[in-house]
Amino acid sequence: MLLNVQDLHVSYGAIRAVHGVSFEVDEGEIVTLIGANGAGKSTILNTIAGLLSPNSGRITYQGQDIGGLDAHKVVQRGLALVPEGRRIFGNLTVSENLRLAGYQLQADERARRMKRVFELFPRLGERRDQLGDTLSGGEQQMLAVGRALVTGGHLMLLDEPSMGLAPILVQHIFSILKEINAQGTTILLVEQNAHMALKIAQRAYVLETGHIVLSGPAAQLASNPDVQKAYLGA
Amino acid sequence: MDLSFLQQFINALQLGSLYALVALGYSMVYGVLLLINFAHGDIFMFGAFLGVFCSMTLKLPFVPTLLLSMILTALLGMTIERVAYKPLRHASRLSVVITALGVGLLLENGMLALTGADPRNYPEEFLVTTVYNIGGLSISNVKIIIIVLAFVLFLGLYLIVQRTKWGMAMRAISYDKFAVPLMGVSQNQIIALTFALGTALAAAGGILWGVAFPVLNPYMGMRVGWKAFIAAVVGGIGDVRGAFLGGLLLGFVEIFVVELGQYVGISSTWRDPIAFALLLIILVVRPTGLFGVARRQKV
Repeated sequence: MLLNVQDLHVSYGAIRAVHGVSFEVDEGEIVTLIGANGAGKSTILNTIAGLLSPNSGRITYQGQDIGGLDAHKVVQRGLALVPEGRRIFGNLTVSENLRLAGYQLQADERARRMKRVFELFPRLGERRDQLGDTLSGGEQQMLAVGRALVTGGHLMLLDEPSMGLAPILVQHIFSILKEINAQGTTILLVEQNAHMALKIAQRAYVLETGHIVLSGPAAQLASNPDVQKAYLGA
Repeated sequence: MDLSFLQQFINALQLGSLYALVALGYSMVYGVLLLINFAHGDIFMFGAFLGVFCSMTLKLPFVPTLLLSMILTALLGMTIERVAYKPLRHASRLSVVITALGVGLLLENGMLALTGADPRNYPEEFLVTTVYNIGGLSISNVKIIIIVLAFVLFLGLYLIVQRTKWGMAMRAISYDKFAVPLMGVSQNQIIALTFALGTALAAAGGILWGVAFPVLNPYMGMRVGWKAFIAAVVGGIGDVRGAFLGGLLLGFVEIFVVELGQYVGISSTWRDPIAFALLLIILVVRPTGLFGVARRQKV
């Protein structure tokens, strides 16, 4: 097991956002957490990545406890988060964004990983000297995924990669995610667009107000009447 | 062009360079922390006094004094950040500003208690003045050294900010703190480095100021600090080019208000009111300063 989350509780001050969530991700999988706005999906990812501290519970990655570790140290272990809203540095160029993502790497390793990103996303290569602010939403999402590939690339956490993108771009991003996964990156995907998420994931968890209410193989959940009604607009 | 005008041009360049060196620190710290470090003027004073200590007591020559004072002041800057500002990283902006003012008072009065109120200056042999006469224009080596050093230090800083990964991280923090740790960057390290660089430049400014205007007292940082702060705002706070340009601009405005004022019968006591009125007009026209961009509100 690559990532194991046990009985995780997280709160913002007095507001409890996640209470008692447990799930796991195996090496090589694509796993998705689906749920409505405010269900606690982003909180879970931000806590795993070290941006938030859990109140209680265990997060183990590659068998080691990473709960409460600072984000810049979590990254060192090959776990990278593509945050909600992409969070591209708009005052840095495309290559600077990628170089910063390789902050802890040796120059040659960083160059090797950047080259791979430009191969996966030729569009980014064409715009390497453009400022992040000048990219379209789709290009920014490509850059956000690219950055995560440079920093980590062993386990990638993605927070709403489809947000604000045209359907054709969502298709493109998701096909790239499948490709990245085939090349060896395990993916934990959080989505409101349950339709797309269940299509590419092997397993899924359904989150409601800080609890996991359903879990199972993605195909099975996609045909579950409750899930269809609540998340797939059937 | 008449000679007095050229002479004043050199003077303005000297004064502006000094403001610019101090303004850089305000701007850098604001860039990464959104904090106006009101103790910065007093850190400038501290650097100048460390220079007195190195040159008078340790009898060090100019260059070692400059370097030692920059290093020690950088350590002071990092210590202040660690002890006074870091615990308030998530406190309200007002608490941090009040703390900064308190740190400034502590430095001023601490120095007063330590050295007394008598004005200090550097020893004669610290930087022996030679005046060159170039076609009727008299330029001292001191002025040349100040101007050249200020430009070299700025250039060095600019290269660090633009070319190194630390500089890239500084720029990234100033844009969006949230995502920076996700890149594997330790925010604390970058903030400490920012303080170190900014305060080292202030120390260099302090020593050069003391060479140009040899009356050092523990309150010297207040006036210069405020002016440099205004220079940083006019340049566009958060941008190092803006801070440097703002400093130079302030030097030019101050010197030329006096220079041109004498022809129209304005006394030199009007220097500051007129200079600052001009800067206010710049801010009315460009509220974010010369190099500033409006900050996006982030959630």
